[in-house]
Amino acid sequence: MLSFLARRCASALPLLIGVLTLVFVLVEAAPGDPFQIEPGPGVSREAAAHLREIYGTDRPFLQRYLAWLEGFLSFDLGVSLSYREPVAGLVRKALGNTLWLAGAALVLEFVLGTAAGVAAAWWQRRPLDRLVGGAATVLYSVPSFWLALVLVFLLSVRLGWLPASQMHSIDALELGAGPRLLDLLRHLVLPCLALALPSAAGIALYVRQELKDLLGRPFVRIARARGAGRVGIVLRHALKNALVPVVNLFGVALPGLVGGSVVIEVLFAWPGMGRLAYQAVLARDTPLVLGCVWVASLGVVGGSLAADLLSAVLDPRVREAGP
Amino acid sequence: MSARPPQRGRIALLGLLALLVTAAPLLAPRPPELQEDAAGARYLPPLTRGHGLRVDALHVRIVTGLRRTADGWEFERAGKKEALPGTALAGPPEPRFYLLGTDALGRDLLSRVLFGARHSLGIAALSVALALFLGIAVGSVAGYAGGAWDTALMRGVDALMSIPRVLVYLLCAALFTPSSLLLVLVLGGTTWTGLARVVRAGMMSIRTSDLALQARALGSRPLRVVILHLLPQLGPILATAASLRFADTLLLESALSLLGLGPPPPAVSLGGIMGSGRDVLAEAWWIVAWPGLIIGATVATLRSAAADLFRLADPPSLS
Repeated sequence: MLSFLARRCASALPLLIGVLTLVFVLVEAAPGDPFQIEPGPGVSREAAAHLREIYGTDRPFLQRYLAWLEGFLSFDLGVSLSYREPVAGLVRKALGNTLWLAGAALVLEFVLGTAAGVAAAWWQRRPLDRLVGGAATVLYSVPSFWLALVLVFLLSVRLGWLPASQMHSIDALELGAGPRLLDLLRHLVLPCLALALPSAAGIALYVRQELKDLLGRPFVRIARARGAGRVGIVLRHALKNALVPVVNLFGVALPGLVGGSVVIEVLFAWPGMGRLAYQAVLARDTPLVLGCVWVASLGVVGGSLAADLLSAVLDPRVREAGP
Repeated sequence: MSARPPQRGRIALLGLLALLVTAAPLLAPRPPELQEDAAGARYLPPLTRGHGLRVDALHVRIVTGLRRTADGWEFERAGKKEALPGTALAGPPEPRFYLLGTDALGRDLLSRVLFGARHSLGIAALSVALALFLGIAVGSVAGYAGGAWDTALMRGVDALMSIPRVLVYLLCAALFTPSSLLLVLVLGGTTWTGLARVVRAGMMSIRTSDLALQARALGSRPLRVVILHLLPQLGPILATAASLRFADTLLLESALSLLGLGPPPPAVSLGGIMGSGRDVLAEAWWIVAWPGLIIGATVATLRSAAADLFRLADPPSLS
């Protein structure tokens, strides 16, 4: 187990260097440099040359590349052009908010998806099974941003039950700790649902199909012959087997979750990393965009590492095979 | 898995969609950008029957509930009752039918949705075509050649897959100017990685098959073996993967256009139409509804078609 852990962690560093190299190539391919001189009044040629020297854009290619790697790997992410603040601090603040949203969505996705799948397989070919199958097929195909707009329309505009955007109410700072958390949770409901429901539907469909297959297998019949109850068979024997690929799915689905949260954060004005990156693009704030890209990639690499370790814990065959 | 035969209905639905999209210029009742009467035709609900009253060479008034009176016309325009003497018109009233309603500038949504679908599906199709080309090329080399080639190429694929696609596009939108070409390049340039993995796995499993050995024994060069003998074997798997990628790409393209990061107007896309309606859901739900339905239906059809294709590729003995 320990050697698997070491091997798997060691493979993450080259991956991160690969990510940085790809982004570096993109940035180098972009036209112009930040200190290009426009004809007319502005920065003098000498001042521009001085700035280039300070920021190192006049150095040779290889030196720039190495400095680039060193900067990102040591989390020296530079200064945002639009906020005039260090990028690292901005990203850290936004990352916390994103983790709230993505974490809640992830939990909801797995709990709801698994529960619906188990319920459908439990009452096979009953109305509930059909309901889960139908609803999940629709939800799985609907774009999450469309679902977001529909949810806002129904629950916020028409019924007025939930706030449609932002993370806190305007007077949240004056509230006590308890009401403040409640306020945050009320704001969390809609974006979380929009982000989680399509993926939960995918998981529900998968678990339902897998359980139905597994429940027909011989080992289930043997367990039943030995006198195991229905709850024990479904939960202990069938579900445990069905869930191993779901854990692997988590690692594969992570880029999608991070990407999907960009859209949802912008639509719900959630002050997370996705929205920060989006605003940085509109402000042409390249250092800030780069910071967001870097942290998101770190999250993806770290997440798939975690998923691999988790499936190695669950399944000894994975440990033997190595990364 | 139940051995259901592939359904013709889905293929037919996809064919119909392709037809609608290619024939958009013929089918659209009006040009998608046409603002005949921005004030009068603003937010008309679906199935509105109205009339266009031509007052002079340049101006048309879009009205509803048109009635003839003794000395002219009575009608409703922008929620108010109005009247015009018969002499004020430059021609007879022209009937107007808005099947899907109109938007904030009085543009016909049916026309916009048709052209928007044409744009969005076109971008997704070109991206997937680019992705197929790159994925097949890289996957074949990695899977067939193996060794150092395989390691180097697949490490690159892993790195590219570690950056969420949305963020790759955001970065490119900041570095370059958003346009349809940029969308195709970035969407295609990030989609191919998954296809490359599929092709590589397939190549590795059949490169030592009798088929490949016989082809090599006859003296075929590697390129010929791969293209003529091995790739056709992977056809169904590739078709499955490509239709799944198509669905994902359509979703992503729409999301980006919804956020206003797609190509600027006058380009019209499904996501862009939804973006223009997202703040007026209470007044005009239909602006968001139709593009969403088209995207959802296309994605659902593509995904179930992919499942059918997969069943075709998968011999029944395995399942």
